Amino acid sequence: MTAPMTRRQLARHAGWFGAAVVLSVTGGEVVSHVADTRDTASAAGTGDPNTLRFVQISDSHIGFTGPANTDVTGSFARAVDQVNTLGFRPDFVMHTGDLTHLSTPAQFDQVKQMMSGLDTDRVFTVPGEHDSVEDHGRAYRQTFARGAEGDGWYSFDTHGVHFIALVNTLSLEKLGHLGTDQIDFVRRDVAGLPSDTPIVVFSHIPLFAMYPQWGWATDDALQVLNLLKRFASVTALNGHVHQLFTRVEGNVTFHSATTTAYPLPKPGQAPAPTPQVLPARQLRTALGIRTVEYRQATTPLAITDKELT
Amino acid sequence: MTDAPVLASLRTARLTRARPTLASRLFTSAAGATLAASGAVHAQLYLDGYRYLHAVGVLFLLQAAASFGLGALLLAAALLPPPALIQLTAAGTALGALAGFAASRTIGVFGFVEHGLQPAPQALIGIVAECATVAALLAAGYLAARHGQARTSR
Repeated sequence: MTAPMTRRQLARHAGWFGAAVVLSVTGGEVVSHVADTRDTASAAGTGDPNTLRFVQISDSHIGFTGPANTDVTGSFARAVDQVNTLGFRPDFVMHTGDLTHLSTPAQFDQVKQMMSGLDTDRVFTVPGEHDSVEDHGRAYRQTFARGAEGDGWYSFDTHGVHFIALVNTLSLEKLGHLGTDQIDFVRRDVAGLPSDTPIVVFSHIPLFAMYPQWGWATDDALQVLNLLKRFASVTALNGHVHQLFTRVEGNVTFHSATTTAYPLPKPGQAPAPTPQVLPARQLRTALGIRTVEYRQATTPLAITDKELT
Repeated sequence: MTDAPVLASLRTARLTRARPTLASRLFTSAAGATLAASGAVHAQLYLDGYRYLHAVGVLFLLQAAASFGLGALLLAAALLPPPALIQLTAAGTALGALAGFAASRTIGVFGFVEHGLQPAPQALIGIVAECATVAALLAAGYLAARHGQARTSR
């Protein structure tokens, strides 16, 4: 038999828990305020030439028809609008692959035209496996990668950050594959860079083993990652998996992006990675874009994922 | 009456309920300090970039806030002993943080996975602080129970 709590004991407990709540809320408010102050200072630096801001969009699958999203073109148009109304003009926009669903000329024309509406100086792309259906990426390269090396890989520098755009979808068996030529390109590309240079790597298929059973990995990525081991900060951004996922391994942080087209199941939670049909209102929450900010002299890249509005 | 000894014991316990021993209160205060340290680690990581992580950022903020609040109350235990429920909540907060750490190394937390004791040294400091919190609260609870038992049996 348990003795009932007296009124005095109840008041005492209420007092203690009230104090716990007040102190916790106060602590949370202080931490939030400090974070807001930092974000505000960062936002004030929008015009700061040292602040880099770019956007990652991915897996638009223009041409897809199915119940998972009956209007992928409309969704991508909303994503473009969202990029154009972010409140800042991104230095560039990167599309991390699967621009089209079936690599037809009409689909490439449409996605290129839609991306020309992005309010930014430069638009970059890497191909997904859906952009090289039956032509080994020829139509993709003609549309988006004319000046690139090999099968479309390239690198560029801006705001003190070195960016590498890789192609791991062309020699696809089950997993993504980079190949010797591309690995040699990376070796030459980073050879002269100081170790404190922040590196950002783009690819379509993850460079980490997110779920190899579904092909969500790149079989020879380790060779490239070994070449990047000496750098203090390496960020790898990919698409393909249609969902947010972050993994930290040593000096590399991997961020998988969501899609503007349709969601895929979480690893292992379905027999196969097939398009997921969600209730109409929930679809938008599964789609989105990503903004990335980097201020020179501050180490981490601030990566913010936003649901499609 | 078979209930008589139990009732007598409870009555005695109520009559003889005394302030916890100094050692028990010191252990509780120590738990407050280590819990606050765990909160500081989570707050720092939140400010340093974890706030941008989907869902995980909010969890870091909640952990930091709860750890600061409960830690402050436990720190005051040397002067004013808190009820056992507050200590249990504090232990739950520390255990929750440890469970989150373990999950982020295995099954992932909302799609977030890290490896080993990264970020260093915050990961290690956090684990040590949270384990110390649980250990100190267990020690405080044990001492309080033993003290209560001794008084009841007198």
